[in-house]
Amino acid sequence: MAKKKTSKNPALKAKLSTRDKRTMGQLVGLADGVVDAAQKRRDPHMDIPTRALSNVRYNQSKKIIEMGKNTTRRQLFNLSQAKSFMQSMLVAKGVAQLIEQGKNTSIRGLFYALKGKIAGTNEHTFDVQSDCDPIIEDAEVLLDSLREELHLFADSKGAMVGNLVLTDSGDEIDCSRMGSGGYAIPSIVEPSVMQFKKCDAKFILHVEKGTVWQRFNEDKFWRKHNCILTHGGGQPPRGVRRLLYRLHNELNLPVYCLLDNDPWGYYIYSVIKQGSINLAFESGRMAIPGARFLGLRSKDLEQCGLSDSVKIDLNDTDRKRARQIASYPWFEKKKPWQKEIKRMLDNGFKLEVEALISKDISYVTEEYTPARLKDKDWLD
Amino acid sequence: MAASQRDISVSEFFAKNRHLLGFDNPRRALLTTVKEAVDNALDACEEAGILPEIWVHIENTTNGRYKVGIQDNGPGILKKQIPLIFGKLLYGSKFHRLRMSRGQQGIGISAAGMYGLLTTGKPVKIMSKVSVRKPAHYYEIQIDTKRNRPEIINGRGDGVDIPPGQAGLKTIDKHGIEWIESDHGTRVTIELEAKYHRGRGSVDEYLEQTAIANPHVTIHYLDPDGNERTYTAVAEVLPAEPREIKPHPYGIELGRLVGMLKDTKAPTISQFLTSSFSKVSPAVARQICEKAGVSTRASVRKTGRHEADLIYQAIQETKIRPPSTDCISPIGEELILKGLHQVVPGEFYAAATRPPSVYRGNPFLIEVGLAYGGGSTAHRVTRDELVELLSESDARTLRQFLATTFDGLGTEAADRILQDAKAKTRVSPGKLKSKEIDRLHEAMRSVNLHDGQTMNILRYANRVPLQFQAGGCAITQTIMSTNWRSYGLGQSRGSLPRGPVTVMVHMASVWVPFTSESKEAVASYPEIQKELRLGLQAVGRKLGMYLRRRKRVKHEGERRNMFLRYLGEVAKAVSQINQTDPKALHDQLLLVAKKKTADADVKLDDRGRPVDEEQLDLGSNVLIVDPAERIADKLNGNGAGDEENEE
Repeated sequence: MAKKKTSKNPALKAKLSTRDKRTMGQLVGLADGVVDAAQKRRDPHMDIPTRALSNVRYNQSKKIIEMGKNTTRRQLFNLSQAKSFMQSMLVAKGVAQLIEQGKNTSIRGLFYALKGKIAGTNEHTFDVQSDCDPIIEDAEVLLDSLREELHLFADSKGAMVGNLVLTDSGDEIDCSRMGSGGYAIPSIVEPSVMQFKKCDAKFILHVEKGTVWQRFNEDKFWRKHNCILTHGGGQPPRGVRRLLYRLHNELNLPVYCLLDNDPWGYYIYSVIKQGSINLAFESGRMAIPGARFLGLRSKDLEQCGLSDSVKIDLNDTDRKRARQIASYPWFEKKKPWQKEIKRMLDNGFKLEVEALISKDISYVTEEYTPARLKDKDWLD
Repeated sequence: MAASQRDISVSEFFAKNRHLLGFDNPRRALLTTVKEAVDNALDACEEAGILPEIWVHIENTTNGRYKVGIQDNGPGILKKQIPLIFGKLLYGSKFHRLRMSRGQQGIGISAAGMYGLLTTGKPVKIMSKVSVRKPAHYYEIQIDTKRNRPEIINGRGDGVDIPPGQAGLKTIDKHGIEWIESDHGTRVTIELEAKYHRGRGSVDEYLEQTAIANPHVTIHYLDPDGNERTYTAVAEVLPAEPREIKPHPYGIELGRLVGMLKDTKAPTISQFLTSSFSKVSPAVARQICEKAGVSTRASVRKTGRHEADLIYQAIQETKIRPPSTDCISPIGEELILKGLHQVVPGEFYAAATRPPSVYRGNPFLIEVGLAYGGGSTAHRVTRDELVELLSESDARTLRQFLATTFDGLGTEAADRILQDAKAKTRVSPGKLKSKEIDRLHEAMRSVNLHDGQTMNILRYANRVPLQFQAGGCAITQTIMSTNWRSYGLGQSRGSLPRGPVTVMVHMASVWVPFTSESKEAVASYPEIQKELRLGLQAVGRKLGMYLRRRKRVKHEGERRNMFLRYLGEVAKAVSQINQTDPKALHDQLLLVAKKKTADADVKLDDRGRPVDEEQLDLGSNVLIVDPAERIADKLNGNGAGDEENEE
């Protein structure tokens, strides 16, 4: 926290863009609120929009999850909230400094910048990064600003290959010439940073994990079928989702998802399609209601004649989660989905995409996926 | 064979069975001697209505021999009574009556004299003065063990008379009599084979405990090492004088009833019953007679064993009011608090005096006092004392030494001390090097003993401390079977509770049921146990309330601290965003914090009404000492037992 002086040094102050000015205004408003309350001998507080299932609404016409109006009050003089109040103020301070200096940092970088011992104690402001991340998300909703506007970005996760040429921070990148590793999808893919130059691909195939993605890339599936191949390393980060959204909307490419047949896979699909509950405020710029669920399906063990050895028994958490997902408003009224989830529960086992590899190493790329696309056998 | 059959004198019997009277080893002998003399002195003073002041001098004469001198400011003893009281076993005024008093059998002091004679050959020296104007008497007495008769050695078998005034002082000098000038009083000096030690079961402990239960007594104590200690009286009035009562019918055995029938002067059964027993009115007597099938007017003289048995049975079946209980004089809650506070350091004191109750026709009363927060004696010991204790101890290991010498120090705490002192567990206490003693002393002072400490129990019967046979005593047993966990103390099943707690329990009765002659353990009658439990629970509840509040106050403090901890960070962060003055903001936030936590201090009770925390209602019989006050006390030199605060 030696940066204290820099903020007072006008020479180091970067020129603020209009967006930065707006964010800065929000931050100062937050700080003034504390001063105001203190002067009036009141308990300083902040009302943070609630990021929970209770405060999301499924918008039937837009088919996306939207954030409700509920807020959670965080008070300084509440035993269970005092620390997170302090942490929120620290994050606000860190962001203000980043904006003033015109720099960006990763959320891990911010965690390190803010981490430290509280004066006179052995307690740390933040112990681990997972303490800091939710506070940053709180700051996003509280300040009604996107992460990029807070000059923050997450670690890159996810990769892309395909017949697409784009520019990233001024560098032209041909995604069909990315070797075996593919193009690492950055955290910020806003039009100001990334522009699409040329696209021959006809659709997007999004797979769950790197291993499956490798299989498709090695078999040059994307070349044979003229598509863009992406993965998000499990639950896709916002950069990947935003990129899919832009490709889908700007280039009119349909999105197909190949995910595991388990509650985790269902929820990945749900996040891509409707947006996430936690970050519902970003659904509008990330959710792809047109995304389709290609597989794996609970019928696949029989249909593809897989061996019993690929079954993974469901545990109690899986069952509970599956029922929870089935009851989400956006799944509730979809009969095929209800049938799908019920069948998985009846089966008593889940299937990973890798299960298909057990049949034949290239079964998934040469037979399974092409057949499903051809038959239009997917869930919506 | 028949020729060798002959009478055994009581004195002879006890000379051979001295363990029965508490003279089984030199240590015990010293304690018993002091105890008997002090008990007698206190009883004498109280009966005469004098506030007792007692001098106890112990002096090491030669190796293994000690001279014990105990003087009181009592009424003095008549000349002709002196030899009998100190030189004849089983001579006394207390055995035949039902009245609350310390001594009961009248064996004590003469037995001590006899023990002294047996072990050192020195006679018992008695100096007694009845008034300023009359001559005092000085006797040197031996017991003729065969005939249970006193033998006066000095003044050609007649003792020495000491004239009042200046002349007397010369005589005192001439005969080498030890005497602290006083208007009236008695001094007894006994030289005996003994061993002086400190710690548990010692004379020091006895006197300290006596001071607690007898807050009206001043004790001057000079120990063999020349240390002088004074326990000053905190009460200026004598306890109410106990009344003598007639026995209650329920407490009588058949044999005793027959004996009484023989001795009585009453002509008829009805008159016998009403005059010999308490709570027997003519109506009750008639009921008993009806049940027994005996005429109320039947002659006592003609009543045989069979009729006596019938009457005895009838008594058990008849409803008779419990004996009046005003014959017992309790210490009183206020004085228990004072006494405990004077001797046991602590921060919280509570006391409860139960209403009198009856066991087997004997009225009795239970009093309980509790002190919380006092450090263990292990904390208070000085290095010199420790060196002496170590050299005196006959414990085989250091661990055993620690556990047996200091109050409320369990083996668990002893282990912790040893660990801290880096001492070996099995080393002999006498063989420690100077450096090791330093380390041990340091460890004893610094180790937190609260967790390892067990409850320290002070037992009393008619104001006399009971120092031995704790395990067999109804008091200890009841404490162990009481659940102290609900009062905020740790306790393993069936054992003493843990924590810095001292509990004193006083049983006052016209006849305390001891388990043995040595009068060290109270027998467990269900009625006594019930009263004990109720008394313990009464003080336990108060301790629980106090501890809970203390915990809450601590919690509040932590809460406040927590806010204060974060305020600095918040103020700094805010000032960096909007350039306000962090110092001013911090100060303002501090004010809000104070206001907020003050609000939080007002808690709501079960019914949603605000509870005023400050006025914790513990009743009147509670004393809470502010630790700061205790330190102030100490600085002012007040409070004999006060020590530095260990909290």
